[in-house]
Amino acid sequence: MPPRDTDEPADRSRDGHHRPGGQTASPAAVDVEGLELVYGDGTTAVDGVELRVPNGECFGFLGPNGAGKTTTIKVLATLLSPTSGSVRVNGFDVTTESRAIRETIGYMAQETSIDPELTAAENIRFACEAYGVPRGERDERVDELLDLVELGDVADKRAEEFSGGMKKRLDAATALVHRPPLVFLDEPTTGLDPKARNRLWEYFRQINDRGTTIFLTTQYLEEADQLCDRLAVILDGRIVADGSPSDLKRRVGGDVLDIDIEGDAAARSRAATIAREFAAFDAAMVDETDTGITVTAESVRQHGTDLLVALRDGGLTVVGFNIRAPTLDDVFLAITDGTATDDGTDADRPVPRPEGGSQ
Amino acid sequence: MSTDVDDGGAAVDRPVQRTANSFLGDVWVNFKRWNLKAVRNPFVLVVSLVQPIIFLVLFTEVFGTVAGSAVNRGIPGINYETYLVPAIAIQVALAAAITSGVGLVNDIENGMFEKVLVTPMNRTAVFVGKTAAEVFRIAVQIAIILGLGVVLGAEVVTGVVGAVGIVVVGILFSLWFVAFSNSLAVLTRDQESTIIGANLLQFPLLFLSSAFLPLSALPEWIRTVARLNPVTYGVDAARSLMIGQDVMTVIEVSWFGGTLDGVVPGVAVLVGLDLALGAVAVYLLSRASSSDVK
Repeated sequence: MPPRDTDEPADRSRDGHHRPGGQTASPAAVDVEGLELVYGDGTTAVDGVELRVPNGECFGFLGPNGAGKTTTIKVLATLLSPTSGSVRVNGFDVTTESRAIRETIGYMAQETSIDPELTAAENIRFACEAYGVPRGERDERVDELLDLVELGDVADKRAEEFSGGMKKRLDAATALVHRPPLVFLDEPTTGLDPKARNRLWEYFRQINDRGTTIFLTTQYLEEADQLCDRLAVILDGRIVADGSPSDLKRRVGGDVLDIDIEGDAAARSRAATIAREFAAFDAAMVDETDTGITVTAESVRQHGTDLLVALRDGGLTVVGFNIRAPTLDDVFLAITDGTATDDGTDADRPVPRPEGGSQ
Repeated sequence: MSTDVDDGGAAVDRPVQRTANSFLGDVWVNFKRWNLKAVRNPFVLVVSLVQPIIFLVLFTEVFGTVAGSAVNRGIPGINYETYLVPAIAIQVALAAAITSGVGLVNDIENGMFEKVLVTPMNRTAVFVGKTAAEVFRIAVQIAIILGLGVVLGAEVVTGVVGAVGIVVVGILFSLWFVAFSNSLAVLTRDQESTIIGANLLQFPLLFLSSAFLPLSALPEWIRTVARLNPVTYGVDAARSLMIGQDVMTVIEVSWFGGTLDGVVPGVAVLVGLDLALGAVAVYLLSRASSSDVK
């Protein structure tokens, strides 16, 4: 027998939990204290993570490959049990009330997860049934979600015929069938072209505007910048920074000017000296690279060309330059440079580590 | 878009619209999905149905005359078609059971396995629904083989009751191999390995049994292997039903007199095998779906 129809919304109290109404009194969407996860081979993937994501926020979890992002999100989505620590999602405990969590979250895995043999509409319908969307609402919900992710035209085409971006959009739609108050998105746009990425961002913005809390992991600062109210940066299983996107970028100290210099190391070193002594930049950070120098400073956009002129006047040949906003790499550089002075370890750059066991 | 969607403020603590899915409801959802996939994926149907049909037609046409006399020495008065159809029914069950594990591997590979794990569906119901879809398909395929066999000249002596009995024996036979192929799927997590592993077993299992010729016509070593081969038990039970006589060749009982003496021992062995391999598969599947850190 198919699930019976009912207009009555699932009452969370049937799980034995009274949830007070009213936005302010409700528990945080995600509340993590001292989360630790050690894999069977002894790899510590997550080491003492503390997180609190209030309802309605779009929260970004940043880090390089293997930092512990996917492991953390899998713990939150009840796919992995924490080794230790307290993890509550939508007010439910992740170990003892996992089914209640599954009813109240949407989860989109890093690998696109759809049934290629079913059509777009059938994939969404299966998700509707799996999440117990009342039968009378399913048709409407399927249409609504197909519209949202702009797959209405190909509703009856098999998913195996879709492009990567279309599959990802379909995957996103299936995570939203039960209108969950909280959605986990694990690197939702990795591997997509910029156009497909922008489209997905647009959908995420829409559902966030409706009040859905979003918890996403990403490697792209731009993605976090576009979508997130708040970010945390995870490195080697620990949160090393958190704050708004602009907070984090401020830690980098401005925009970045990459300059390619003709000649040998001596020429680059001379260029670095000129840049360091360049008066128009206040507290510029200058690094030598393999091909030239990199200058990070607040006013690099205004005075970058002046520096190029100064370099030419110094007898150096500039063969290329590029002014850009700080990337995640720059944020990591800034953050890890900071930790290097704290604990004395050599942390010039984040050392990526295989994502231990979390596929 | 309905109004409550735009009701941003209340949406934060909006109760999730969800019917309380019953166990049977979850079974049904998965049963439907796997049936739909079976219809969509001709590979599954072709592999598990066309190959046995080719066997049925070719064996009866090519070996019919020769094999018929060997068969008649043991069981007088039956043609090779009648002798072979129960074996082909078992072959169908075997071939279809292989696809069960392949389906699971595909689910693991395309992420649907994990996707289902994050839904609130009952996990036992998920696997029961999938297996039910496969058993349903096997039943339909055996019915097709029986019908085709009759067209080719086979005779179901016990009539409709016997035909239903053969379908039941086929299902009981398929379950241990369903469990086996799913275990293989969880252990290898690789489509090719699962297909090869399960397929490699298919032909030795069929040929080293009473499926195509009476054991009395086969070499001694094959008789020894056949005694340990589940196919022999399934085929002999199905064949006893087909011709209405006790033709169980490996266990001699005379508890009931007549046909049931051939059916019951075979069924008992198959049920025991189903339970044993089923337990292994359940253990492996629950380990694979558990959230325990590995």
